[in-house]
Amino acid sequence: VNLVRLISWPYACQHRLRLILTASGIVLGVAVLVAIHTGNATVVHSFSQTVDRVAGATQLQVFASGSSGFSEEFLDAVRQRAEVQVAAPVIEQSVNFGLQKQESLLILGVDMLADSNLRQYDIDVGADEVADDIVMFLAQPDSLIITREFAQQNHLAVNSQISLPTAEGSRQFTVRGIMRPGGLASAFGGSLALMDIYAAQEMFGRGRSFDRIDVVLRPGFSVKDGQADLARVLGPGFSVEPPAARAQEFESLLDAYSRNMNLMSVFALLIGIFIIDNSFNVAVAQRRSEIGVLRALGATRRQIRWLFLIESTLVGLPASAVGVAFGLLLAWGSMKYISGFLQSLYGFSMVTKGIILSPGLIVSAFLIGVFTSVLAAVLPAQSAASIEPVRAFQKGRYQQLSLKEHRIRRAAAVVMGAVSAACLWAPSSPAAFYIGYIFSVLAAILLAPTVIIWLARLLRQPAQWLRPLEGTLAADSLIAAPRRTTTTVGALMLSLALVVALGGVSQAAYVSVQNWLDTTLNPDLFVSSSDKLLSSRFLFPSSMETELRAIPGVADVQGVRTVRISIAGSSRTLIATDLVKLFEHIKPEVFEGDLQRMAQLASQGQGVIISENFSTLENLHLQNWLEIPTPSGLLRLPIVGVIRDYTSPKGSLLIDGTVFQQYWKSGELDVFRVYLQSLASADDVKRRILENSRDRREVFVLTSRELKAYVLRSVNQWFGLTYLPILIAILVALLGIANTLLVSVTDRRRELAILRAVGGLRRQVRSIVSTEALLIALIGLVIGIALGAGNLYYALQIARRQIIGVGLSYQFPWKVTLLLFPAILLAAWVSAVWPGHSAVRQSVVEALEYE
Amino acid sequence: MSRPLLVWFAVLAHASLAFGGPQSAQQILEESQRRADVKSLRYEGLLQVTSSRGKTAEKRWQLERVGSQGSSKIVFYFTDPPQIKGVAILIVNHPGEKSDSWMWIPAAHRERRVDLESRSRRFFDTDFKLEDLEQRDVEEYDYESTGQADIDGFSCWIVRAVPKSKSAQHSFSRLYIRQKDYAIAQVEDYIDKAIVRTLKFGDIQKVQGIATPHLIEVADLRRHSSTTLKLEKIQYNVVLPDEDFTIAAIKRSK
Repeated sequence: VNLVRLISWPYACQHRLRLILTASGIVLGVAVLVAIHTGNATVVHSFSQTVDRVAGATQLQVFASGSSGFSEEFLDAVRQRAEVQVAAPVIEQSVNFGLQKQESLLILGVDMLADSNLRQYDIDVGADEVADDIVMFLAQPDSLIITREFAQQNHLAVNSQISLPTAEGSRQFTVRGIMRPGGLASAFGGSLALMDIYAAQEMFGRGRSFDRIDVVLRPGFSVKDGQADLARVLGPGFSVEPPAARAQEFESLLDAYSRNMNLMSVFALLIGIFIIDNSFNVAVAQRRSEIGVLRALGATRRQIRWLFLIESTLVGLPASAVGVAFGLLLAWGSMKYISGFLQSLYGFSMVTKGIILSPGLIVSAFLIGVFTSVLAAVLPAQSAASIEPVRAFQKGRYQQLSLKEHRIRRAAAVVMGAVSAACLWAPSSPAAFYIGYIFSVLAAILLAPTVIIWLARLLRQPAQWLRPLEGTLAADSLIAAPRRTTTTVGALMLSLALVVALGGVSQAAYVSVQNWLDTTLNPDLFVSSSDKLLSSRFLFPSSMETELRAIPGVADVQGVRTVRISIAGSSRTLIATDLVKLFEHIKPEVFEGDLQRMAQLASQGQGVIISENFSTLENLHLQNWLEIPTPSGLLRLPIVGVIRDYTSPKGSLLIDGTVFQQYWKSGELDVFRVYLQSLASADDVKRRILENSRDRREVFVLTSRELKAYVLRSVNQWFGLTYLPILIAILVALLGIANTLLVSVTDRRRELAILRAVGGLRRQVRSIVSTEALLIALIGLVIGIALGAGNLYYALQIARRQIIGVGLSYQFPWKVTLLLFPAILLAAWVSAVWPGHSAVRQSVVEALEYE
Repeated sequence: MSRPLLVWFAVLAHASLAFGGPQSAQQILEESQRRADVKSLRYEGLLQVTSSRGKTAEKRWQLERVGSQGSSKIVFYFTDPPQIKGVAILIVNHPGEKSDSWMWIPAAHRERRVDLESRSRRFFDTDFKLEDLEQRDVEEYDYESTGQADIDGFSCWIVRAVPKSKSAQHSFSRLYIRQKDYAIAQVEDYIDKAIVRTLKFGDIQKVQGIATPHLIEVADLRRHSSTTLKLEKIQYNVVLPDEDFTIAAIKRSK
């Protein structure tokens, strides 16, 4: 403690700025960790809370396979089971509307006659007790019960009119009751409205189908038994689960995102380790003489080691605390981001109010921060403890690497590189793949000092040419002390490699999706019930296809029905349409099978076409049989083709529309692909479609360009994380290079003083420091980009095998890479300002006496 | 299971007595049912529901029933207020099985099934239960005479009716049956030992020779709400064709 008070504290006070920079590594890592998990947990909590509050006393929920809904007859089948006490049908749909305070309103269509057994509608105010009078409520299908919160926010009262979009155009609804806050009324952040289920069927164009049935079992029947019996009776086309299972399913949708973000937080902490390691190396370098004196005065190695470990702990504690606080602030952004892409990708609407604090997460993140800080200081502490008093006063030499160390590092790198290359020969083994990947990175880290020297020698000449004095001295400094630069360059290398790899994956995905859009989404217009194709709110009658075809300028119309179904525990998208006609218009990339043949077989109900990502993720190929759960039982079909289709991240299936009608007993459609006559104007036809639908049904007409822009926006949102590592890389450059230069300036105090003594200008000294910074950055860029180019291969493989199941072609991300050069070089230049100032500020006389 | 109201209606309907000597509780109920047995029934009802908040809502309906004792069909046609005019409810009872019920809502242009389970709960937010309006089998209960009492100046037998079904909503009911005409004067529903609901049958007059209550008052003692049903234009054994008791018929609601 005395050593900390007498030695560490004055040093920390003297180097406050560096202390802050050092701590910022941990702050960043902890903040990212907290932000990601808190944002994630908030969204999941919000969803499960809505599910829970809407579920009420529901013990089991019956869904048809995926999101397709099912006909009313299944309700009778459920009600007739001996174990079922209450079976209440539900339609649940969020709608966007024009009121100012909220964008989404969750409409819950319920059978009020049965539903009071499940959910408590605590009605606050009713118009002449209408909301309390079921006959009165049901007899007026425009009846709506809203929450008090929603009413207050939108200045609504009983008998107020609300205009809501319906499948038949905008309709006026009347508020007949207001629910008191709490329970059901607090679901979906209070943005909830109840209406009669049969009115909801009409409103959402559901025909005579329900979304789900909520079940309460009779006393004496266990949930497990009830679940088993209902599942047996209803068959594989239905899922019978407790309400909590929906939240789990929802959470699984976030899997890929969570994995990405976890990788980011681990990466941020790794960079934090590098920064702290670097800072402590600086501290050890600057305090070598101090350590030598302490050792000479009798301080043991153990005491020296502990001194640095305690220092790192003292840095880690406040840094972790600040990181947690900062993370909670960032969590708002993270939450919005997750909500945004869940809506655009899966059509989930949610209202989140406030973030969910997890004490476990906060404590864990705090401890991880402190642990990381201590871990990062282990090697510098060891290095400090091993300083011999005699060598403590020899400047600079400890920054050199011995020939033996060079040889060992190179040999180890060669071995790891060879192992990594050998692993490429076993591409099907995931273990070999990941070992190969890790070894390739380790080999790069081991080779870094050697490469630094090589590159520094290589750059010496151009540096000398550009700045004869400053360039030469800066390059020589790097060549003479590779150890000093290794950590910074290593951190820079890793972060830049990640940027390049992620940038490459994004670019490849973007290009691939763009190609797919060009070949697949080629109709001139898309008619949907939502501006987001994947979250269509209403279904259209099949007769609308004929109506659209009759509009002047329309050459052809193709109705499509899309539903989500669950296969092998994951949500897939099932697309039902006239496949022969579809493949007349589009020519998707075929991976297995023949396009014409697969269209023929599928249209005859003799096969299913699957997407490449579904094929890869589930290892399904031509002639494998697929069991598709439908409300009418299992539909067993052979796979007759594998094509490129990016409709769903977990894969999609294409079947013929007639097969869908037969098994799902639903002829409704959700999207129409409209092809125009050659001379027709898309804008004119769009206007005609909208005019034709006015007051009859709610439609959105998207041009091909608008739809492509929407899809690409979603892709960008998904891969928007690419820019986070760029920020981290810039931070690494700023912190790492500043630290390295401070050590360099300290080590070369005498050298720089001599330069000034013989007439060197302050400007020249500053220039030496900034040139060294630029050289470090340049070396980091070169080896980081080289490693990134290699990592990109692995990243594409990981994306294909583990995340999206799509084989993306290798495309080096030139744009991102070119962006890195000015960003990192500028960061390096900025980071040299303080060390440069420090170098010219010191007294020449004192500096000459330094050794 | 609570007391089926129509059973008591039927009992009331056969007020004329040709009965004497000591009887068991079971015999009293069987005689009541026998006397109440009519082929069909029609009446107009004025329903007044007073909520726990003290607000009263009125509705008018016309009820038609054919058949009896577990194989009856009942149709309610709401006639007033105007917002609910044309709403109709069809109940088809099957012997030994759950009944089927449908509701027709003219404004929605469609019929809907009524959850069978909900019939043991409040009937359309009144204090009646759907099963109160069906005719149930006397055999569904065990009966026990527990004494005598005066109701509205009439001597009544007190019969304790315990449902045989274990899933019944009430533990037992206490029936007050007039000795003069076997009409039910009052019913009390109990859960454990607490009284939770009362039905009082007033203004009992003969209609076509059948003693018939013209006023029924139900009070839910837990919810603190009450419902009054005034029966008017009561007719027994009118000709009601079977086709009037179909979904198609209620869609043509009057």
